[in-house]
Amino acid sequence: MFEHMESASEAALVSRSARGDEQAFGVLVERYKGMLYSMATRLMKDRGRAEDAAQESLIKAWAALPAFKGESKFSSWLYRICYNTCISELRRKRPEVELDEAMGVPVAGPVQEFRNRDIQATIQEEVSRLPDDYRAALTLYHFNGLSYEEIAKLTHRPMGTVKAHIHRARAVLKTRLVERVGWDNLKEVMWQ
Amino acid sequence: MNCEEVRRSVQDYVTRELEPENRRLFDAHLVECAECQRELALVTAVVSTLDHQPVLEPSPGFRGKVLAALPRQRSLVLSPWWSLALAPLLAGLVWLFRVPLERGLAGLLGQFGGSRLAVPVISLQGAGIVAAAVVVLGLLVTTGGAVFCWQTYLRD
Repeated sequence: MFEHMESASEAALVSRSARGDEQAFGVLVERYKGMLYSMATRLMKDRGRAEDAAQESLIKAWAALPAFKGESKFSSWLYRICYNTCISELRRKRPEVELDEAMGVPVAGPVQEFRNRDIQATIQEEVSRLPDDYRAALTLYHFNGLSYEEIAKLTHRPMGTVKAHIHRARAVLKTRLVERVGWDNLKEVMWQ
Repeated sequence: MNCEEVRRSVQDYVTRELEPENRRLFDAHLVECAECQRELALVTAVVSTLDHQPVLEPSPGFRGKVLAALPRQRSLVLSPWWSLALAPLLAGLVWLFRVPLERGLAGLLGQFGGSRLAVPVISLQGAGIVAAAVVVLGLLVTTGGAVFCWQTYLRD
């Protein structure tokens, strides 16, 4: 029975979960836990709080499932619940970091023997230093694969603002990468 | 396209959002400009890293914790439409207890100086109407309450 459930279609699992089937909901939890936890970790920058937020999002989803009409994709609906949970948690716990403040953090000097994975680690680290709005837009676009329009709807911001946030965030990351690693080291890795 | 225009378009070029004509102009400029090639390499590294962020896994037992924390009441709460099934039952009860109900109503009217008013006799049809009215009212209240709760819960 359980094995059969694991291979069930998402629509069937959602429908069964909406009728109170915890086993079906457990399969959905298994499928989405990584995405929700990753998203929450990137938005909140704290693994412990991220796990709580992911858990809370799933409990909210369970409670709201009977009202889910399938007008959007189940994943988008779930991401929206998770985003709202993380944002209200962030607003409750600490004030938002301003861009100028985030940009003012001193950076480490060039590092020798840089490798490709180090570029990735540096970028990940710098993403966590971005202001909340920028980090959220980047995460939703690149990690969750949402369109500008979907992000604008979700974050209640104009589409132009969302696009500008993403562009400025990438520009900040690019500048930081050169500052921290140095162009000569980067060149070696990128063209090796 | 000059260097400044290329710098402005480089992100859209990497994410394939640049229109074909501008893409062609971008490529033409790139062939002869080392600085813009460097800019493109940097933006490509950033976008590629962002596109391939690893999926992180929560602690073992996450699924069990979520399932254990689910509110159990939901499976016990029936849809408000089930209350319609209560209408015949309620009508039956009103009909069965019509005599004490009529007496009670007469006493109530007498207390408030309404002795001149005739106490209505509860017929089978009357009992049905009373029961249906109670059920419809209950249905409206429970449906409204449920919608309000879901919306409030989701908004937060």
